[in-house]
Amino acid sequence: MSDSAPRRRSDSYHRQLDLIAEMSHEFATTRDLHGTFQRGLKRVADFIEAEAASLFLVDDSSGELVCQACVGPVDIIGLRLAPGQGVVGRVVEQNVATIVKDARADPHFGALVDAKTGFVTRSILCAPLSVRGQRLGAIELINKTDGGLFHPGDRQLLRALGASAALAVVNARLNKAMVDQERMARELELAAGIQRAMLPPEMPDDFPIHGINHPAHEVSGDFFDVLKLADGRIAFAIGDVSGKGFNASLLMTKTCSLFRCLAKSERRPGRLLSVINAELCETASAGGMFVTMAAGVFDPVSGSVLLANAGHEPPLLLQDGIFTSFAAAVPPLGIAVDMVPPDMTETWIGLAGGCLYLFTDGLTEARCQDALLGAEGVRRLLSEAAGLPPRERLAAVVDRLAPPGSSPRDDLTLLMVEDRRERPCLAVRFEATPECLCDLRHRVAAAVRSAGCGPEAAADIVLAVDEACQNIIRHGYGGKGEVVLEIRKNAAGVLEVQLIDFAPAVDLAKIKSRCLDDIRPGGLGTHFIRAVMDNVAFLPPPVGAGNFLKMTKAIR
Amino acid sequence: MSANFSTRHVKGGVVVALQGEIDLQNSPELRKELLSWLAERRDVVVDLQGVAYIDSSGIASLVEAYQTARHQGGRFRLAAVSPAALRVLKLARLDEVFVIRETVEQALKGD
Repeated sequence: MSDSAPRRRSDSYHRQLDLIAEMSHEFATTRDLHGTFQRGLKRVADFIEAEAASLFLVDDSSGELVCQACVGPVDIIGLRLAPGQGVVGRVVEQNVATIVKDARADPHFGALVDAKTGFVTRSILCAPLSVRGQRLGAIELINKTDGGLFHPGDRQLLRALGASAALAVVNARLNKAMVDQERMARELELAAGIQRAMLPPEMPDDFPIHGINHPAHEVSGDFFDVLKLADGRIAFAIGDVSGKGFNASLLMTKTCSLFRCLAKSERRPGRLLSVINAELCETASAGGMFVTMAAGVFDPVSGSVLLANAGHEPPLLLQDGIFTSFAAAVPPLGIAVDMVPPDMTETWIGLAGGCLYLFTDGLTEARCQDALLGAEGVRRLLSEAAGLPPRERLAAVVDRLAPPGSSPRDDLTLLMVEDRRERPCLAVRFEATPECLCDLRHRVAAAVRSAGCGPEAAADIVLAVDEACQNIIRHGYGGKGEVVLEIRKNAAGVLEVQLIDFAPAVDLAKIKSRCLDDIRPGGLGTHFIRAVMDNVAFLPPPVGAGNFLKMTKAIR
Repeated sequence: MSANFSTRHVKGGVVVALQGEIDLQNSPELRKELLSWLAERRDVVVDLQGVAYIDSSGIASLVEAYQTARHQGGRFRLAAVSPAALRVLKLARLDEVFVIRETVEQALKGD
């Protein structure tokens, strides 16, 4: 008899431990948290011999307590309690397991459910669900079935079960976050794939334009594009959306699509940027994002580029070891419609055997040996790589800033437009006036003589250039005006002379050699040109220029 | 640039000697010079010995002077044409139009 009470206690103690162990295991391994709550609640209610039980979790967004599972005569799943409301609310706030012996005498007790259902709550046992001070909810048991009171042993048991249930809640939330993250990662990868597909395909080595894009993250806010036009010219663009990450990459995708679509019909890069700006201002001006962008059209025949720059890093022309930079004419796109007018300044650039580099600020703001690379650093890297073939050249520059396998701090994008023709023996851009012709003739003579011309052929070429410049001054501009002259010897040993001006297009029908039998002072120039050169032709002028005269003469 | 020609008076006319490069920059002055002497009914001989280069605008000045002289029955001759100048005259087939003499003295003589 004296042994029986302790034995019963020890028996009950072991059964409690078994229940805690089983429930903890189930909470730790479950994939169906609500099912486990429901079953667990039933077992606890049975074990402690309670009439009803319920489990509440804190709703993170509202702070309310929401019933997730319940057993007993009244179904209260989905019931919401304001923060701190009722005995459950108090237990969650104070984070202490509590026994309420007489519910109706407790000021916190809300008799709402009882009033609605006729259920009579007499006593309550409630334990918090919390992990490391994070309040997650509570388990509540109501009324001992035998009409008695909950005792401290019941409270201890419920506290222990509450702790393992809380861990299960935390586990489940971490799990869900991980699954969400994996889904995001998969979606990001898909988005990155779509972005990569928007970049132009790799071009053959002898193509004049190549680009490289090395994103800092999965998706990029940088872009470049290259588009072969039907007339043999090539449209290109480079851009950088402010900010990084997904929103930047979406705006990049939009801008890139607009360029690809518009460049097929709009040859003037300034007008093109103006249209893209209007579109971005109208539909994508969310969150103060903007796009720096430079767009151009390259004419491989004349080796020239017409460039428009909206707030983008100044492109660099590298020509015989000398850099020239081309600053932005207008602010970035997407800020205000009137900031990028259709007649925005465009820059006409004769590459003259050189190479134009366009890049994003990922390059200038890259760190190289712990120092900001800067514009000077970019020039140094470009100079050092200058001797390499096109694609190797781009890779060499980018690899210096983000060695293979490492991630750059910002997206790195580099685009090059190279004049692939023979290097010119003379390339000058000058304001043509009667006064400058003497000096020009001497420079032309020196250049063609050193290219292997005999004295007579040299005199012919000098005369042709002089006469052509006179025509531009007198008939093209009706005064002085800018002229770009390039002379080169091609692989066949033929000297090619090209003259580009920006005067209104000449009427080809009016250009004819005069009849020599008609003795009069004017009109001899064109005749001289045709007489001394093998071939003289007005070609379609590069975009942005007025006239493009090409003359050739075999010198061997 | 200063004028690329110098003028000396001789019996019965003037000799205008051209020097160096005759182009768009200095041909208007040359034209004025030639026409002014013709307006005074002088016979004009243009000495082309020192011409290193002449372009269509220079040639045009000579043509205009030639036509003016012909119109008023005056005399306009070229003399001592340098190879560079002759090549350009030939390109325009004007070597057959102008009266050209080997030397200034021959050009000044009658016939």
